Amino acid sequence: MAMMRRRVIDFLFSDESDRWLTVLRIGLGLQVILYALSLLNDWNYFFATTGNALVTRDFAEALLALQSAFIPRLAWLVDGGRYLGLSEQTVLSVAWFCLLYSGVSLLLGISCRFAAILAWFLHLCAAKSGGFVSYGVDDFMTIGLFYLMLSPLPDRYSLDWRFRKTNPGNLWTFGFFRRVLQIHLSIIYFFSGLTKCLGSGWWNGSNVWRALTLPSFNLIPPEILVRWSLLFPAIGIAICLIETGYPVFIWLKKTRSFWLALVISMHAAIAVTMGMYLFALVMIVLNLAAFGPGIFALPLKLRAESLMHVPSHVD
Amino acid sequence: MSRRKKFLLLVWFVSHFLLILIVSCHETIVLVARGLTIIPPALGDYPKKAEKLAEIPIGLNLGHSNLLRRVVVSYLGAAGIDAGYGYFAPNVPGGYRLVFELQFPDGRTEFLMASAAANLRLASFVDQIGDNPSAEFREHMVKKLAAVVRAEHPEVVTVRASLERISQPTISDYERGGKEKYELLDAYEF
Repeated sequence: MAMMRRRVIDFLFSDESDRWLTVLRIGLGLQVILYALSLLNDWNYFFATTGNALVTRDFAEALLALQSAFIPRLAWLVDGGRYLGLSEQTVLSVAWFCLLYSGVSLLLGISCRFAAILAWFLHLCAAKSGGFVSYGVDDFMTIGLFYLMLSPLPDRYSLDWRFRKTNPGNLWTFGFFRRVLQIHLSIIYFFSGLTKCLGSGWWNGSNVWRALTLPSFNLIPPEILVRWSLLFPAIGIAICLIETGYPVFIWLKKTRSFWLALVISMHAAIAVTMGMYLFALVMIVLNLAAFGPGIFALPLKLRAESLMHVPSHVD
Repeated sequence: MSRRKKFLLLVWFVSHFLLILIVSCHETIVLVARGLTIIPPALGDYPKKAEKLAEIPIGLNLGHSNLLRRVVVSYLGAAGIDAGYGYFAPNVPGGYRLVFELQFPDGRTEFLMASAAANLRLASFVDQIGDNPSAEFREHMVKKLAAVVRAEHPEVVTVRASLERISQPTISDYERGGKEKYELLDAYEF
């Protein structure tokens, strides 16, 4: 029993370099920038409650308030701005600029912790207030930013580290939060694969056809798709296997790089064939951060350097 | 200090992943209970009972005003773990489209479509309207979109909105010349 406990502790709190955190910070920084830019023209349309807006925020927030008063929402910012004499439009514009700023800060590694908290908060406000116009990408951005905010920032490649020489903390905290991300991704893919396996359409390929011809995703004309229809059952089964097999094959050293390549290819294909670029990017970033660093053996000098740069306080 | 920190992180880890597993299992059980999967209905009432059981640890069986439920729901939302991961599962759902017919004072008629290709978020919105079983909700939301259309075209006399379910052809239907079909769900005039 004691040995088992020791093994679990060693697994969760193993010493780790901060390279995965660099990948996560830079990747999510880029994601937040692209997310903000993708909403540049629609931000007020989706979130304002006056003028030529969709006016769904009030309704989404009313439903949110029924669930809990503590979930962040844009109404908090708008009400705070009103108290200071600012209009809704001004507050929403400032929120958008702050979101973009947090993305740039994360990308460069300036005030990493503050930027991560700001990005998480503002994105969550937008995702929850725009509940009716949100989709999968918002869930995964929230997950990624939540872990980034809790992780021991800054990392060695951030400007914070270069200029402020901030103490990064214990090596095992890097290891712990990387494990959290790794395990969460394993659960995500397992359940995503399992629920697909429970649908008949993934086994005969009809779901691949349906997904690619839905009006919101039909980038490739059906007359071209139909020429490849014999491949659809194989693609459907492959997706089920890649996702359900993820929690096993991503952890085995021999299959890790292959499985990571499969998953990244799957998301890249989703981006190219269905136009879900932001969704693909966030999934690729999360995968690369969780399982990318360390997948290829580093040159000895670089490996030694990466361990020497971070002070160890392991007990 | 380090030991205490590790202990606290371990407690958080266990609670966090317990919630993730419960939410994910709950969603999967719901799919089975509603007969949306290939699992035969021979299982009887068990999936429904399991669905109710899975609601207990995340507080969904408690009243909306219950503090514990509110705290758990807030945490789930803040961590982005309030939904399962059954994207496009067990099967890819059909989409919806919303067509606005604008009648101008000179007798002209123009059509606007609010489904679709241009914007994934707007398409998701239209799908959520179409999927909702409440006719009042659908009308309320279509009215909101119609108000935007009206504001953009103030000269319009009437706006007719049709919410339609898109029925995609199967591969073999398509090969035989089959096209997308649109089944009228609701029609409104504003």
